[in-house]
Amino acid sequence: MDQEGIQSFLIVFSIIAFALALTVILLFAIFQKRKNKLVRIQQETENKFKEEIIETQIEIREETLRNISWELHDNIGQLLTLAKIQLNEADETCGNVSEASETISECLKELRNLSKLINPDTFTSLTLIEALEMEIERFNRMKYLETTLEYNLETFDLNTKVETIIFRMLQEFFTNTIKHSKATQLKVKLTYSEETLEIKAEDNGVGFDVSQLSRGIGLSNIKNRAKIIGADAIIESKKGEGTQFLLTYKNK
Amino acid sequence: MPYLVTLLELITAIIALVAYAKYRHSKEKYFLIFLWYTLLIDVLGAVLGDIFYVNNNGVYNAYTISSMLFYFYWYYTILKKKVFKKAVIVFSLLFGVVAFISLCFENWNVYHSYTFVTGALFLMVLTLFHFHQLLNSNEVLIVKHKLSFWISTALLLFYVGMIPLFFLAKYTNIMGLSYQIILLSLNVILYGCYMTGFLWTKKEYNRF
Repeated sequence: MDQEGIQSFLIVFSIIAFALALTVILLFAIFQKRKNKLVRIQQETENKFKEEIIETQIEIREETLRNISWELHDNIGQLLTLAKIQLNEADETCGNVSEASETISECLKELRNLSKLINPDTFTSLTLIEALEMEIERFNRMKYLETTLEYNLETFDLNTKVETIIFRMLQEFFTNTIKHSKATQLKVKLTYSEETLEIKAEDNGVGFDVSQLSRGIGLSNIKNRAKIIGADAIIESKKGEGTQFLLTYKNK
Repeated sequence: MPYLVTLLELITAIIALVAYAKYRHSKEKYFLIFLWYTLLIDVLGAVLGDIFYVNNNGVYNAYTISSMLFYFYWYYTILKKKVFKKAVIVFSLLFGVVAFISLCFENWNVYHSYTFVTGALFLMVLTLFHFHQLLNSNEVLIVKHKLSFWISTALLLFYVGMIPLFFLAKYTNIMGLSYQIILLSLNVILYGCYMTGFLWTKKEYNRF
């Protein structure tokens, strides 16, 4: 190779080497940056999810305490008062002691139910259906609402965190039904299919105008939570025609 | 020295064969055939040129056209955006036109440089489309285990080097050994990326 040959070789070689180095560095930098960003976003989502779980659990606990306070006041309190009256009467007539004893045993039964509800394991060990059954049984027992729960037998296991959030969404819907709808009936239906869980809850209450209330805290809360677990939540209602809540969750 | 490239091709083809189980269900499965085809072409070219002393540019012309069309087809299958898919079709048509014109007006025994440059430029754009697609999906996290990423990297780097070499070779008097050294280096990068891809790839990331 002559002098000129070597020179042009060096020129061409360095140009190409430069082009290659630049391409590699650019590719690496862009991919790395994008990767870091994605990792950060994933972490943020995860943190948000964790916070939401904690908040949900707190809310469920609060709701449970509120329920207990109601039950103590409306149910067990009433029964005990009745028993006291019956015993007072028994002083005079001697006939009502057995009645009072019956009232007290009923009272004990209610207390047992209640203690089940207070047990902290309730929050962690129950499946979604068991938790819903307890909730619904309570509505029926307290005669707030006539409630039915339907589900098919081919269930699949959900992530417990997802279950907690779904349960809380339904609980929120039930609370709204009891507080505002003046409904007498509530139907809940869970349909498990191969990969999706469809939950439908409907009441026969007064309903509301969805367009006006769509920004209400409770409802937007439900929608936010659905988004966090990647589910679809639809709330439909018309004045005088009850309210429907439809949740579709895809099991991954 | 020209046989070193052929040797590289042989090694890559063997690795591709050994690793076949990892990508047999992916869109990259045809690369196994393609690599052996490339090796065959190179051997054929060498036999014709160095043993029979026949002009072998015709073989390489055929290879340029077929390999470019293969790459285009592969990108057509892996790019998801409709715009990108349409671009592949347009590129293929334009490339076809250029190749056809070269076939009509240029001697078959001369290497068709327009065909090569058009194909190479379009291919580089397609690799960038593919990178764009990877960057905008979660796959960016596992990119080093994806065979398609390594193939695109290989192609991009090879042609980023090849196109300047092609033009500079025309305007400087670089030839012979110098040209061979650079060409060999580019081939080392190309097949190095392929080999890395075949060795690092994981089955679960090559399903789509």
